[in-house]
Amino acid sequence: MPAVRATNLYKVFGRRAPKAVELLSDGRHRDQIKELDVTAAVIDVSFEVEPGEIFVVMGLSGSGKSTLIRMLNGLLPPTSGSVEIDGSDITKLSSRNLRAVRSEKISMVFQHFALFPHRTVLENAAYGLEVRGIAREERHQKAMHALSLVGLGGWENHVPQQLSGGMQQRVGLARALTADTDIILMDEAFSALDPLIRRDMQAQLLELQATLGKTIVFITHDLNEAMRLGDRICVLRDGRVAQIGTAEEILNDPANDYVAQFVEDVDRTRVLTASSVMEPPIPVINPGHGPRAALRTIRENQTTVAFVVQRDRRLVGLVSENAIGEAVRTGAADLNGTVETTIERVHPDTPIAELFQQAATSPYPLAVVDDEGRLVGVIPRITLLAALAPPENGEGEAAQGEQEADPPSEEPPPADEPRTDEQNEEETR
Amino acid sequence: MNAYTWLTPFPPRLPIGDAFEAFNRWLKSNFAPVFDVIGDTISWLVNLLSSFLTEPQAAQLTFIAAGIIAAALVRPHRLPTLITTGVVLALYIGQWLFGLGNLIVNQLPAPLFLWAMGLFGQDYVDANLVIALGFLIALVVIAAVKQTALRRAAVVGGGWLAVILLGWLAFPAVPDLIADSTAMLMVLLLSALALVVAGWKLSLFSVIALTVIVGIGQWENAMSTLSLVLVASLIAVVIAIPIGILAAYNAVVSRIVKPVLDLMQTMPAFVYLIPAIFFFSLGAVPGVVATVIFAMPPGVRLTELGIRQIDKELVEAGEAFGAPTGKILTGIQLPLALSTIMAGVNQVIMLGLSMVVIAGMVGAGGLGSQVYQGISRNDGALGFEGGIAVVILAVFLDRLTAAITSNSPQARAERSAAS
Repeated sequence: MPAVRATNLYKVFGRRAPKAVELLSDGRHRDQIKELDVTAAVIDVSFEVEPGEIFVVMGLSGSGKSTLIRMLNGLLPPTSGSVEIDGSDITKLSSRNLRAVRSEKISMVFQHFALFPHRTVLENAAYGLEVRGIAREERHQKAMHALSLVGLGGWENHVPQQLSGGMQQRVGLARALTADTDIILMDEAFSALDPLIRRDMQAQLLELQATLGKTIVFITHDLNEAMRLGDRICVLRDGRVAQIGTAEEILNDPANDYVAQFVEDVDRTRVLTASSVMEPPIPVINPGHGPRAALRTIRENQTTVAFVVQRDRRLVGLVSENAIGEAVRTGAADLNGTVETTIERVHPDTPIAELFQQAATSPYPLAVVDDEGRLVGVIPRITLLAALAPPENGEGEAAQGEQEADPPSEEPPPADEPRTDEQNEEETR
Repeated sequence: MNAYTWLTPFPPRLPIGDAFEAFNRWLKSNFAPVFDVIGDTISWLVNLLSSFLTEPQAAQLTFIAAGIIAAALVRPHRLPTLITTGVVLALYIGQWLFGLGNLIVNQLPAPLFLWAMGLFGQDYVDANLVIALGFLIALVVIAAVKQTALRRAAVVGGGWLAVILLGWLAFPAVPDLIADSTAMLMVLLLSALALVVAGWKLSLFSVIALTVIVGIGQWENAMSTLSLVLVASLIAVVIAIPIGILAAYNAVVSRIVKPVLDLMQTMPAFVYLIPAIFFFSLGAVPGVVATVIFAMPPGVRLTELGIRQIDKELVEAGEAFGAPTGKILTGIQLPLALSTIMAGVNQVIMLGLSMVVIAGMVGAGGLGSQVYQGISRNDGALGFEGGIAVVILAVFLDRLTAAITSNSPQARAERSAAS
């Protein structure tokens, strides 16, 4: 059962919202219903978030992401559609039961922290439990634990204004962790922080998520952040879902031009991993083969090297054409002595940004080796270079249909990183 | 043809004033008991406060001292404090209804009281004082046993002792030195309040300025005015804050309230006096009622503003963690709006003070009637003295409430952030 399931969610502001939903459900763009005088923030959004997953909703300002996340915990009632938390539809709950769901199942971290300035850090962190009516000692103890998890031990008696932005957001995170809910909604949680602190916080979030296994719905306008954090990413455009998929799927197989333009400037080397660019390990030879057989295999494949693997595909090393030629000439009976065993090995999950150094120093292709030491692929230098180029084919056909249905769209989306403060402010309304 | 005659000549004479008058008559004939209760309550409150301010009783001072200590104890030691308070209240009600206190005092051995009666020159035992003394002692004992609020208990207890000794032994003993011992005692008490709330500067000002009021012979009038203003402001604030909260929550209420407040504020203040006298006859009560109506608008407006200007994300945070509306109001909105609300309370008090002279015209007494007498008798000296006393009271009240504003939770947090 998914932790969060949104089905055909609509949020339209304005008096004639039902009519607007009817029109929008035919696939119209929201600019085509301007005469209704409504604001369509979220249009026909469906997705599922599995327990323990980080699901990132990404979009520019005005794409409806903040509205969407507020429907997930019922802060905004959807105009149409349903939101299921652990299988129960929260759009049908009474306000009392909805409050119970919020305090027990979903907590939230806010863009501008939303810490209570008149409470200490400890009291802020304990707020969720205080609302639930937990006794003072117990909730303070849990809050202290959460504060130490986020690295704020010793700050509990300060007030939020005494803390830097990054620390304040840690308090926001601790407040969500103390509430001890399985689901955490994070609304542009790191957008107001400066880049270095943001990276720290992202790393810390990943670490916490790995140990605590929370289900996280993360909203951001920063594609790099989305790629870094998200197990899956939902790209929103003008209120509609443009694409849902893993970072690599979105990067390598964008559903339309919009997504393609969006991912154009992404630092691909941080998103793509060795496993996504590696090629099948051809040719491979068995250590039992003689030099002549090996030489023939290499020549048949028109390469200069061959990887030597055992029967269970465990990597032994690599032989080069020259070394084998030498062995054949001296009449060696087996490959012993010609196999180079000190070649570069990389793990399939290594981002390719970390492969360049190794690729540059090694004269041979990099061997991609899994946890058991089995050869799963190879990365020649040329493959590494090719991976940096955005995909050219594939996006064409998919995008064409979209292009015709769309009204002439404004700008191509700007890149991820240079977001200005004005834009941030716009979003906070 | 006949149907149009009432419209011609245009415009016709509109009986708005008569309608207002008729409405008032209808109200009074149908709801007379309600107005009686309101009038009695107000006059009881004003008299109580003004009699305390002009002639403080030892029992009242003792009770206040005990209350200050109880306020510090009630949170950490809810049960013993509440039990003690409950017992004391029961004793008071018993004394008030059946003279229970007197009965008990008469049962107790006389030597317990004789020395104190001799010391203070009293010829009977005040049962209320005995009860209040018991209350004070019980709370000091609780504080000592539980080791909480010791400093506050010591300061308040010591201060109380000093006040009793000064007011009932030291000042009366030197009539050549101190002319009006109770007035000077009250000056000291008000200055002490200023010291606690606003610091030594206002305290020093209070000692000097309030002594000036005593010196120009306006002390009793000033205290009667002060009590009138305080009661009127209290009523205005009690009505204004809930309306302000409603207006902040509900756009419709806000749209209705706004023009009504404009009307209340711009209507010449004298106009309120006429119906006020009609309902409550002459005296302090119509003065208070007119003051309440005139002074209320800023209380409503600033409460609404204070709540509306809170960062929406903070309220959302409360909702996101499942807090019910009431808890969001008391735990987030009111504490954060407090400084704005207190600015409104400050405005209410200032407007109330400005109504005082007008209220003096309907026999509300106090400084207002002094000024009014000055006008009618063409007595510039009297009018000026009354006016000066009003100014001193205004400055005192303004700085005092401003200091309370700067003690709000938000302001405290900001200060500690700066340090």
